[in-house]
Amino acid sequence: MSRLRYTIGRLLQAIPVLIGVVTITFLLTDAIPGDPVSIMLGPSPSAQQAAAIRAKFGLDQPLYVRYFNYLFDVIRLDLGESLYYSVPVTQKIMERLPITMLLMVSSFTFALVTAIPLGIISAKRRNKPADHISRVVALLGVSTPSFWIGLMLIIIFAFNLNVLPATSLVMPWADPSTVDGASNQIDVIITAIQHLILPTITLGTLQMAAFTRIERSSMLEVLGEEYVKLARAYGVSEGKILRKHAFRNAQLPLITIVGLQLTTALGGAVLTETVFNINGMGRLVITAIQNQDFLLVMGTTLMFGVVFVVGVIITDLSYAYVDPRVSFDGGD
Amino acid sequence: MAEPLLTVENLQTQFFTEEGVVRAVDGISFTVEEGELVGLVGESGAGKSVATSSIMRLVEEPGEVVGGTVKYRDQVIIDFEEGPDGERRPSDEMLSNKQMRDEIRGNEIAIIFQDPMEALNPVFTVGSQLKEFIEINRDVSGKEAKQIAIDMLREVGIPEPEERYDSYPHQFSGGMRQRVLIAMALSCEPSLIIADEPTTALDVTVEGQILDLVDELQDKYGTSFVWVTHDMGVVAEICDRVNVMYLGEIIEQAEVDDLFHDTKHPYTQALLKSMPRPDETVEELNPIKGVMPEAINPPPGCRFHTRCPDAREVCRRTRPVYQDVSGPEGYPHRVSCVKYESVGYEDSEPLDTEATAAFGGDIIEAQGESNE
Amino acid sequence: MAPDTSTPQNIDGSDGNAVDDPQEDEFEARVGLWYTVSQIKRDPTALAGLGIVAVMTAIALFAYIDGVFLDYWFAQTFWYHPNRDPAQAEILLPPYGLTNQIYPTEPGTLAHPLGTDDRGRDIAVRLFYGTRIAITVGIVSTGIALVLGTLVGAVAGYYGGWIDDALMRAAETLFAIPFLVLVIAFMAAFGRNLTYAMIGVGIATIPTFARLIRSRVLSVREEDYIEAARAAGVRDRNIILRHIVPNSFAPVLVQATLQVGINILIIAGLSFLGYGAQPPTASWGQMLSSSRQYLLPDPWFSIWPGLAILITVVGFNLVGDGLRDALDPRINN
Repeated sequence: MSRLRYTIGRLLQAIPVLIGVVTITFLLTDAIPGDPVSIMLGPSPSAQQAAAIRAKFGLDQPLYVRYFNYLFDVIRLDLGESLYYSVPVTQKIMERLPITMLLMVSSFTFALVTAIPLGIISAKRRNKPADHISRVVALLGVSTPSFWIGLMLIIIFAFNLNVLPATSLVMPWADPSTVDGASNQIDVIITAIQHLILPTITLGTLQMAAFTRIERSSMLEVLGEEYVKLARAYGVSEGKILRKHAFRNAQLPLITIVGLQLTTALGGAVLTETVFNINGMGRLVITAIQNQDFLLVMGTTLMFGVVFVVGVIITDLSYAYVDPRVSFDGGD
Repeated sequence: MAEPLLTVENLQTQFFTEEGVVRAVDGISFTVEEGELVGLVGESGAGKSVATSSIMRLVEEPGEVVGGTVKYRDQVIIDFEEGPDGERRPSDEMLSNKQMRDEIRGNEIAIIFQDPMEALNPVFTVGSQLKEFIEINRDVSGKEAKQIAIDMLREVGIPEPEERYDSYPHQFSGGMRQRVLIAMALSCEPSLIIADEPTTALDVTVEGQILDLVDELQDKYGTSFVWVTHDMGVVAEICDRVNVMYLGEIIEQAEVDDLFHDTKHPYTQALLKSMPRPDETVEELNPIKGVMPEAINPPPGCRFHTRCPDAREVCRRTRPVYQDVSGPEGYPHRVSCVKYESVGYEDSEPLDTEATAAFGGDIIEAQGESNE
Repeated sequence: MAPDTSTPQNIDGSDGNAVDDPQEDEFEARVGLWYTVSQIKRDPTALAGLGIVAVMTAIALFAYIDGVFLDYWFAQTFWYHPNRDPAQAEILLPPYGLTNQIYPTEPGTLAHPLGTDDRGRDIAVRLFYGTRIAITVGIVSTGIALVLGTLVGAVAGYYGGWIDDALMRAAETLFAIPFLVLVIAFMAAFGRNLTYAMIGVGIATIPTFARLIRSRVLSVREEDYIEAARAAGVRDRNIILRHIVPNSFAPVLVQATLQVGINILIIAGLSFLGYGAQPPTASWGQMLSSSRQYLLPDPWFSIWPGLAILITVVGFNLVGDGLRDALDPRINN
């Protein structure tokens, strides 16, 4: 019960953030010089046509009227129509969001699956060769431009070794008839995985490195705690101490970081999608900005804001699930 | 006299730091008999906690036990022998790490830590932690372990133990958590419990309750204790026998009455003078002057001479011998002080020390220091 | 009655404290800094990082002087074609980018150790002049975030209440929009060049510093000497500037060092997307961006600029980590 109330409270807290997101993007897109209508209609539109478009998108109204109109539309879940694509913004988002989500989920999985063991081994074998290796990997991971990793992977695996594809993604649930060389769903899934590998490493390396560092330092801290010494003093084996007594506590800082990294990764997705020519949310928003497709810009940014908010709430909930000291009713 | 439960002989533990080698425990020897409550007293930094973790073989890097013997009944916890190249190496009789885990820690020797707020794992229920340790150290089923845990929680005075079993540590007060830790130690049915300043973090009334509880439970279960503390008052209240530590060495050892009424070592005298005593009326309390020197570079001769009110020139030159100064009957009373040796103490010139300086510029209350 | 008599005493007493404590504080801070430096000296990886940062900064400075005052003397002297035809030297130079057939695209040779690019320009020379952009954008954008973030965080933490709420909500809003998207929208609105890249990245990283300072302020605010200063009538602004901000110096220094590296990465990313230095200016991110078309035939176009970024950022990260270890002995050992 209290957990439900807590979640609802957290959702309500998110509303000002989302309004803030809309406001910032609204003002920024409005400040972009140039005329969206001329981009839409070409260099020399007839005055009549232009006026019609202006009226259709409310561009003839003053700024604050447009702002409030847009806010009310958003409340009614109406994000308007894309100037450039002439389709509803929601439709465009629904088309692109799964692609970016697939990329995100896959790179976070990659990051967590590699980072947690690396961090733990590093902490357990502090100042031994394994630790040095994992620290160097983590250091390089946080210091390398992700898009450059992508370029290098393409050079090596796509061009030189010719083992993995270098462009676009295939959805694992796509119809086999739409995928080249696929006769059934299994083929589609295999193709999808092949397409995913390089973008996943490109986007996930930074997360992986950041997680490894957090995991190592929090594991080191937890291994120095009195309760770990107590477990040792009661004859608990080192393996069990790592798996049980230290593990859960050590994940708390990681949970916080994973939540925060969601938006960072969305930003990174812009670069990854550019490198691999993937038509996801990142490229959508960049082209929308370039085309002054203002409703599309606002719609996609709002969507990013929603992802952020959901990430924060999931973080809070999982933190509270792992750490009983966090009370949903606020304070002990 | 029967075979002692625990024998510590010439135990040495050192920390290899960047600044140099810290001789945290430098050749201490003592015994614990069955059913006895032995105190290990000294200021912070005297090496008491290092000594107890050495006995459990729980010293962490950069620390290392480098010498001495520790025997628990007939099991050899620590022992060294000379290798073929003359280097020191653990002897064959010494228990393996696995044996240490399976046979000693928890089921024979249990430990109670200083800070009950830190010693329980915050993400598991109190009951599950108790149950886990019981299952590891006693041959019982999970269900039995839970019952033992609940019974033991009741025994140490936790109200409604069935409900509290499922509570998390943060839902307990400090005193209650210390009771849980005592229950944890007792429920594994060890023969020896090492209590490392278990009441230091608690306030005085709670400390009193805990001491009463330990006294009562010790009578009931006959468990031996090594009680580490810096508080002579606690020693007087519960210990049978006392070892006084200073800078990595035991400098005096006696039965508790003997120690209080026939104090031999100036350091012990100073410790006693710095605390209020119910059995004596004193004009004012005299804190020990100065701070304990660093164990990395201990003073030559007697290590206490820099702060000793009775220090003479000879103290700086002569390493005192740890010897028995008691009469023929009764329990040995050992002390290491040149006053009780014939090395010319009487004829030696008095030394200016921090304690004898007429106007001690910066007097630091040693007792206060160690309390923080 | 009692409060009446005690209040003046309090003020007297606290007045003394307010004068004494800050001195003590500064003293401690200096000792801390000195200690930090002595720790760094013993940390080989941090020293290596310091070396990288120092070399890169020196190169950047030299490239500035060379470009502005010496008319690319360095490049003309060391990196022109083996024919040593001075008339053609400028072809190899940034920011010029003449296409020519005389100086073909080639991988590493003696004359051009890192090869030449699609326009026959020497890659090593372009990397050399690109250093000044990388170092400048990293430091300037971090400086912007540092100053504004400190201000926002100190005000939010010190005053608390609705000011705190509003500022922290605003910070959260900035966090909610992916960084690159925010900066790109900002640049689309105000200007698609390096200056706005630095300003945009600086503004977008305000929350990082604001949060850091705020949490420090919250813990320092309750300290006795702050209470004393306030009771003594020291103005809020002075309390924040003279007591609270210096107290947060250490963690901010660590974050700032790491942030320089992060911002270099971000601005390289922006340049890669076309929002940053514009061709023909030699910037590492922009070099990578134009190398994309030549991945298959001429991979060396993209290898070297990436390595340059990597090495520079590693340097800042090593220094930042070394500082953190030195300031937080708990994790260090």
